[in-house]
Amino acid sequence: MATQEKYDDRIALLQGTLDLLILKTLVPGPCHGQGVARTIQRRSEDVFLVDHGSLYVALQRLEDKKWIRAKWGVSENNRKARFYSLTPQGREQLMEKTSEWQRLTRAMGLILEPGSALKGEEA
Amino acid sequence: MFKRKRSAEDFKAEIEAHLALEADELREEGVDSDDAQWKARREFGNVRLAQERFYLKGRWAALDKLMRDLRFGLRSLRQSPGFAATAILTLALGIGANTAVFSVMNAVLLRQLPVTDPQRLVYLRTSNPPRGTGTIDSNETFSYPVYDALRKQNGGLSPVIAFVPLSGSKVAVRVGAEPEEAEGDMVSGTFFSGLGVSLPLGRGFSEDDETKSAPLAVISYNYWTRRFTRDPDVLGKTMYVNGVPMTIVGVAGAGFEGVEAGGSTDFWIPLQNRRELNAWGNPPDDGKLYMADGTWWCLRLIGRLTPGTSRTQALAQLQPLFQTAAYIGLGGKPMPGEKPPVLSLADAKSFPGYDAMFGNPLRILMAMVGLVLLIALANVAMLLMARNAARQREFSVRQALGAGRGELLRQLLVESLILVTAGGALAWGFALMVTRLLGRWARIESSLAPDRTVMLFTLGVLVIAALLFGLAPLRVALAGKAELALKTSAATSNTNAGKSRMRRLIVALQMTMCVVLLVGAGLLLRTLRNLEMTPLGMDVNGLVVFGVKPNIPSLEVGRAFYVNLTNKLRMLPGVESVALMEERIGSGWSDNSAMMVDGRLTDVIGGGSGTVRSNVVGPDFFRTLGVPVLSGRDFADSDTASSPHVGIINEEFAKRFLPGVNPLGHTTGPDNGTYTMTIVGVVKNHKYRSIDEEPIPMAWYEYAQIPMVGPMDVEMRVHGDPLAILPAARKAVQQIDPNLPLIRPMTQRAQFETTIATQIMFARLAGFFGFLAVVLVATGLYGTLAYRVSMRTAEIGVRMAVGARRGQVVWMILKDSLVLTVAGVAMGVPLAMLVGRALTSSLYGVKPLDAVTYLLAMAGVAAVALAASAIPARRAASVDPMRALRTE
Repeated sequence: MATQEKYDDRIALLQGTLDLLILKTLVPGPCHGQGVARTIQRRSEDVFLVDHGSLYVALQRLEDKKWIRAKWGVSENNRKARFYSLTPQGREQLMEKTSEWQRLTRAMGLILEPGSALKGEEA
Repeated sequence: MFKRKRSAEDFKAEIEAHLALEADELREEGVDSDDAQWKARREFGNVRLAQERFYLKGRWAALDKLMRDLRFGLRSLRQSPGFAATAILTLALGIGANTAVFSVMNAVLLRQLPVTDPQRLVYLRTSNPPRGTGTIDSNETFSYPVYDALRKQNGGLSPVIAFVPLSGSKVAVRVGAEPEEAEGDMVSGTFFSGLGVSLPLGRGFSEDDETKSAPLAVISYNYWTRRFTRDPDVLGKTMYVNGVPMTIVGVAGAGFEGVEAGGSTDFWIPLQNRRELNAWGNPPDDGKLYMADGTWWCLRLIGRLTPGTSRTQALAQLQPLFQTAAYIGLGGKPMPGEKPPVLSLADAKSFPGYDAMFGNPLRILMAMVGLVLLIALANVAMLLMARNAARQREFSVRQALGAGRGELLRQLLVESLILVTAGGALAWGFALMVTRLLGRWARIESSLAPDRTVMLFTLGVLVIAALLFGLAPLRVALAGKAELALKTSAATSNTNAGKSRMRRLIVALQMTMCVVLLVGAGLLLRTLRNLEMTPLGMDVNGLVVFGVKPNIPSLEVGRAFYVNLTNKLRMLPGVESVALMEERIGSGWSDNSAMMVDGRLTDVIGGGSGTVRSNVVGPDFFRTLGVPVLSGRDFADSDTASSPHVGIINEEFAKRFLPGVNPLGHTTGPDNGTYTMTIVGVVKNHKYRSIDEEPIPMAWYEYAQIPMVGPMDVEMRVHGDPLAILPAARKAVQQIDPNLPLIRPMTQRAQFETTIATQIMFARLAGFFGFLAVVLVATGLYGTLAYRVSMRTAEIGVRMAVGARRGQVVWMILKDSLVLTVAGVAMGVPLAMLVGRALTSSLYGVKPLDAVTYLLAMAGVAAVALAASAIPARRAASVDPMRALRTE
């Protein structure tokens, strides 16, 4: 039973995180799936190795939730690709999720590194 | 769940695009071409898995899940076959009984005539017939002159359609050599066109056919099938109707069985004007046939409202016309002080007369089967609840393992769907069977087969049942939270005061309904017994009866025919005596009118009703029937046209109209004073029209003496099996006229029983439904108690361990059901009294508050409760304390 809960937690964490990362990646403008994967990988300095299958399922889920929308288009090197862009709803979600994430990391920091968090407060 | 915007192909294309873009990028970074593609694919990971995950979001996943639920449901039902069988059978019985009764009700009361635009069809009705007329039905029949006047108008009703049977039963018909009998109507030329009945073969009648009284016939689809095996060559054949040749010109559409109540018409001919084919097969009255006779109101009329005309408008136009025409042949105007008849229009959507015959019984039966259904549904719901309560641990574990409430709900719904589908299918078959039986018992000849309305009704019941069964146990299932399974034991997790109170309430209510049903069934069965035991006032054993319709060109020929026939029949071996009668006794028909006694009208003498039921009979009539002659004599061969006119009366007649004097020697006769006869005999009261009639003044004329002779029925008293004489009798009749069949031959007992056919069917069905209710309640109670005992095993073990005796344990269980029984009966009796009151009109010789019936019903319910509790109580008493405690 413990295993089950751990498994559930992992999924929840991963899902929430991936959604947030995708939304953030789309802020500068429309991008296709491969671009999103590349961007996340590059920006995280290759810490996050995005599972592409999960990425596309997540994209589809966000599209179903109407946080992003998609359109077939042509990439700069003339390849057909499906371009995703943020909807106003998606932008709102991004703000909310970002502040949620910041609060979470701050709280985690407080517990894991009391000193540094104290420093943070002083700063 | 079912909406999906993207196809799997589109998703696949996107992944292809990704791989291509990735490869491009890798190539830019310096990887060589083949390697780049391979690397892109490797980096993507499992492409198929991604596609499958996308695919699972779609509708196929939902169907997959449904199939899985179905398999799971079937598997879990297979694990408890006893439960599944009981539930399915209970449902089949409950729903099947409802479907059957509803389909009869639908066919008889709700179904519309198979004609075009039945909403615009109306029956013509009159408030009353004018004085001095004879009618078939005082509100529903009209004279030919009235019909003639109404059809010539061109106002609100167009056309006005007339129809009239050629006989009260069947008429002699011959196609080819063998004479037979069939039901036939004479109809106006507008009958088929006006009703809008289709004719798949040949043609209908025209108004010209009516004017000319053309010798044509249209046969019904049914008759065509039955008699002619759908031979298209039937057109052009000659059909002799009462010896008159008619040419068959058409076959009416399937499903059209005429517009006569309760019967199915075999053929139609245009309105005729000849002796052999008078309306209702009557002899001419005063030399006049129905067409010329304004005093005989014998035609039924249907009209079609012209487009744009309301009933009120049509009536306003027709009323003055009708009130004038009503007195054609009656002196032209109402008698002083007489209220003229008022015309009205009634819905012609369904068959006439059915409602009067079967309406009330059917509605009560519908209510009864409704109760049976409630009991059945409650039973199955309780079974499911018990089963699911027992499965609470299973549900808890499944919830703990991550099953959502939605999944549990879906699974429960699917299980109930399986039960309901199986039960419904079985119910449909059961209903088809019962409907056929019902039709036979009730002698309803029109088709009772369930149609679309019935199917919708049944589906509606099934859907309600499925939802009920799916949702009722859900509360129980969800009440067990995930942790429940872990912290409670099997023996205690299910005892919950609230739930069991609900179950007890349901059982008590079932008992209530059971009491109501048993009282209803009991009252009706006692009615049936009373009817069957009613003395008829005669000895019907050894009596056989049949009708003859000879061709009678004149009085003398007619009389000679009957004398000849009587003599021939008397000579047959085994025949004790033979008698003639104009109205067949026990057929539900009778001749009712006021009469003259010593020159005064009967309604003046008695002060009350002056109605006398009369009949025209031949010699030896009372000896043949076995009715005792109290004083004077029976009719004899010596009473002839030339001898003094004689009549016979019954006790009731003497008591009412000749009180305190010796009736012999006084005179009586019809109310118009045209015929007088001397009373020569007084006979004991006996039944004439039906079994359930009350004694009424009766008088008999001698057939050879009155100025009228028509078709008669022959009563024969024989030794041995009454029906065995029929072939010899048929031979004797056909020696005189080869065209004559024996009409409706049967034993006199069977003839009388037709008058209580509806009651017989009604009582049998009510008895059956009462029995069904008892069985259902017994299984329900047994199920509940057995379940409770098994749940209380541990408790009983403890009680016995600390010294409770077996008797005490048995009493504990019995007390449980006793309390329920008392509560159920207490609620049931007042309800049953209401039902008894509603049944009053259907009862005979038994009061709605018949104490014996109520006591028997209560005893029945108590016995059922006791029987159903006995097994669980014994099981409780045999609980081994040690084992019970060890189950913890």
